[in-house]
Amino acid sequence: MDAVAEQKYDLGVVRWFTVMAAVYLLVGALVGVYIASELAWPVLNFDLPYITFGRLRPLHTNAVIFAFGGCILMATAFYSVQRTCGVRLWSNKLAWFTFIGWNLIIVAAVITLPLGITQSKEYAELEWPIDIAIAVVWLSYTINFIMTIANRKSSHIYVSNWFFLGMMVMITYLHVVNSLAIPVGMFKSYSIFSGVQDAMIQWWWGHNAVGFYLTAGFLGIMYYFIPKQAGRPIYSYRLSVIHFWALMFGYVWLGAHHLQYTALPDWTGSLGAAISLAMIIPSWGGAVNGMMTLSGAWDKLRTDYVLRFLIMSLAFYAMSTFEGPVMSIKTVNALSHYTDWTVGHVHSGALGWVAMIGIGAIYHLMTRVFHVEMWSTKLINAHFWTATIGTVIYIVAMWVSGIMQGLMWRAYDEYGTLAYTFAESVEAMHPYYAMRAIGGMVFLAGAALMVVNVIMTVLQSNAQGRVQQARTATASA
Amino acid sequence: MSNLKDYFATDFQAMTTNDWVGTILTVVIFLLMLGLYVYVLRPKKRDHFEKQKHIPLDDEQTNSGDKNGG
Repeated sequence: MDAVAEQKYDLGVVRWFTVMAAVYLLVGALVGVYIASELAWPVLNFDLPYITFGRLRPLHTNAVIFAFGGCILMATAFYSVQRTCGVRLWSNKLAWFTFIGWNLIIVAAVITLPLGITQSKEYAELEWPIDIAIAVVWLSYTINFIMTIANRKSSHIYVSNWFFLGMMVMITYLHVVNSLAIPVGMFKSYSIFSGVQDAMIQWWWGHNAVGFYLTAGFLGIMYYFIPKQAGRPIYSYRLSVIHFWALMFGYVWLGAHHLQYTALPDWTGSLGAAISLAMIIPSWGGAVNGMMTLSGAWDKLRTDYVLRFLIMSLAFYAMSTFEGPVMSIKTVNALSHYTDWTVGHVHSGALGWVAMIGIGAIYHLMTRVFHVEMWSTKLINAHFWTATIGTVIYIVAMWVSGIMQGLMWRAYDEYGTLAYTFAESVEAMHPYYAMRAIGGMVFLAGAALMVVNVIMTVLQSNAQGRVQQARTATASA
Repeated sequence: MSNLKDYFATDFQAMTTNDWVGTILTVVIFLLMLGLYVYVLRPKKRDHFEKQKHIPLDDEQTNSGDKNGG
């Protein structure tokens, strides 16, 4: 039991964010499996507009990115900034405001998206009143984090905090600019941008949501939690500094690679692809840095299941950050764009990198903030294998489906006529859509195991009064 | 080579103030980033940076094997 940490830091809000992150991963994955099943077996629409793919898909992305991703980013940032700076949060009350506000926003998304209330901007669907709430709550998170760093006892700011801070600053800027809109009612607004400018702003946001929120933020988790879980310092601190600045400089250029072969000027797509390729270097440098932290202690992977999640996430991070730049090259993009290959790529990053590093952080935090061992180590192991196998089934299905789709769409006969109708390509996808749904179900089963394990651990901690004991124990306990 | 020249051909006369400000800022930030790489990778700065890597481990005695994985 870490009585010192319990008395020295504000861990209450971290506990709630951690548990909610586990719950939201389950909910987000459940919606994802349902809509994947709808694509394979359309009868599941039940002719109800509220549960059609078009309405539930944004609910799925919002649930996994902003509900699960947001909660785990807030839990880890609030936890690690205190521990690396040696001080409490600047304001515990403001942290609770962030927790309550963020969860109310998630509730608002759950209500509005199935009702079809949307701005139709990918990963930024929520209507303007909710957008304003997001900006306010996000700023409360950012200000609290910055002020905690300002109050730190150490002279140096540890690199994980740089990554979190980079994410906070850039997401504020990106969210506000991308969400600029003219309201015409409480639940309807129109973007102030139009045409190709709107598309460019949308993908400047869209790719940077990946780059700063799902990459920089989760790298903040990586740089703190892998050394902590392994009990070893990061392999090279200098490499982590280079990784940070290269990411901050490079990522903002990439958005245009989502708009190859559109009305956007040709050179912007080329620039996006060129910088995407250059980004392989720092991304792989960061992945190697994380993995090499285990140099000389690889045996830990045999017994430490939480460390397996963290290290496996880096393997997927390296794979995704190679695949993405390759897909941005115009020749490859001509085949891959608008196909399921993109969906597979996104999920190798989302399930393999974001979810796995997040899951590793959840298990690590559970033992530290509830002051008790996890209820079942066997369930963690089972979760690791279901998450890994489910992810692999999913992305393999989408790779095969996507490449087949791309080839069918552009095949033509000797008269120059398209060889296949669109409906024929959809029919050919069916086995892979079923396979994708099965992969998702396997991943979902793992998420359910985690929630059971988390709930039982909380109950065990409560039954033994561990948090209360840590609060009242003498500091040397 | 002429194709390459065409590819990189730029009508500087047509560039607006915004174009110039954006171009200059981008080049300056890029050079600052390169300068930062040189600063961070200088051999005499090695110890200065590498000693910071122990910050997460300094605040407690970690024992990961007992904490989670068994």
